[in-house]
Amino acid sequence: MANRKQIKPDKRSARKRKNPLDAAGITYVDYKDVNLLRTFISDRGKIRSRRVTGLTPQQQREVARAIKNAREMALLPYTEGGRGPR
Amino acid sequence: MRHYEVMVILDPEAEERTVGPTLEQYLGVVRDAGGSVEKVDIWGRRKLAYEINKKSEGIYAVLDVTCEADTVAELDRQLGLSETILRTKVVRPEAH
Repeated sequence: MANRKQIKPDKRSARKRKNPLDAAGITYVDYKDVNLLRTFISDRGKIRSRRVTGLTPQQQREVARAIKNAREMALLPYTEGGRGPR
Repeated sequence: MRHYEVMVILDPEAEERTVGPTLEQYLGVVRDAGGSVEKVDIWGRRKLAYEINKKSEGIYAVLDVTCEADTVAELDRQLGLSETILRTKVVRPEAH
């Protein structure tokens, strides 16, 4: 898979990174907070995996839910960069 | 009664000044049913992440209301009927 190569360096640095939500003291992930959610999507517009984000399973679900809500309201893209939807 | 947050995207061709009164019209539904409107936050014009109905911009507004479930459902239905409203979303923030 072509993705592998891109993930590897992230993975290495992610191991040291702290949980970004706990660090910011966020308990409710709001779908309106686009700047926060942007940190959890790739430049393609995809949701980053838990391995990369370093979130707990519960937090990852909330973030994913918020991103999907934001997408429905055109606050975040479904796809971005590159040609055509993928 | 519960607290709901309703996000509305309005047609960018409407003037921003008219947005408040337009929404107020719909909020009558909530008030008539004994609910209350805590806040009407008009974000203003914002670029859409993708086109909706061939439009690349929209006027965003967020309404905070407290009312019965049937009342928001009716509000959402009425908002959806209007052609100047591109999209709506009802969220219950406390549910998460």
